[in-house]
Amino acid sequence: MSSYSRSAQQWATFARSWFLIDARLQPPGKIATMCSVRLQGKHKPIYHPLSDIGDHVVVMNTKHIAFSGNKWEQKVYSSHTGYPGGFKQLTAAQMHKKDTTAVLPEDILKNLTEELPQPREIPRKLSEYTQEERNAFPMLWTPPEDFRMK
Amino acid sequence: MTARGTPSRFLQSVLHNGVGRYVCQLKRISLVFSKKGQGSVGVRDFIEEGVVDFAKNNPGTVVYISPQSCGIPKIVAEYLNGKVQEETLTNKTSQQITELITKLSNQSGLDIIRIRKPFHTDSPSIQGQWHPFTNRTPSIDPVGPQAK
Repeated sequence: MSSYSRSAQQWATFARSWFLIDARLQPPGKIATMCSVRLQGKHKPIYHPLSDIGDHVVVMNTKHIAFSGNKWEQKVYSSHTGYPGGFKQLTAAQMHKKDTTAVLPEDILKNLTEELPQPREIPRKLSEYTQEERNAFPMLWTPPEDFRMK
Repeated sequence: MTARGTPSRFLQSVLHNGVGRYVCQLKRISLVFSKKGQGSVGVRDFIEEGVVDFAKNNPGTVVYISPQSCGIPKIVAEYLNGKVQEETLTNKTSQQITELITKLSNQSGLDIIRIRKPFHTDSPSIQGQWHPFTNRTPSIDPVGPQAK
């Protein structure tokens, strides 16, 4: 790359990349921090607060985003319009229902350079385990055939 | 005026002078003075004592002495890149003129304006300048939902 002309080297160093992140079954806070780091440009060694070096981040499958705990019912998004009686409060579940996202357009798909790794490991469902793994799982005791659980 | 209002340049040398041999950038020096005037006393003293030594020490510079009936004695320095600099020598002593002429011979012909950085290098990066793909693991798989 050092054989490039000065303008080509400048263009390469300050190029803006497009990242993709799949938000399926991921915590929204962790996704948000990853996005903010890349949107500011803080993942680049050439970062400076005055220069415009942030990258684009495309977040897909936001419909399947996963809050942990009871946040769907308990987390409240508040805002005030400025006018009297304009204090609005929405729980996370209602906020999520309002927002729907569409299909990724083709030109963006062609531009994507890197897919970011998901922050949370998605646990597998029982049906996704093979029979050998289920047999190999340690069990404390095996119930007899005619055992009935109350 | 502020730094933004006045012109500025980057540190440089004329044609990488000094990397190989050093070439004195002063091409020609013309001393214009009057034979009888009051302000040219110092110039006349300098011509008596210092100018020959200066010319011997700087073989690359041509020295012209031109006595004219002029009001103000001056020195005109011309450089290899075409810059012409004039300084007036009225009521200067011979010592001051020697200092001035050594200063002129040490200058290159570049403009005397604000230098943006006191350093310059032709090879700003040894290991290669960073670009977005420097530390990215290469992969052939396409990125995006069609890969799933």
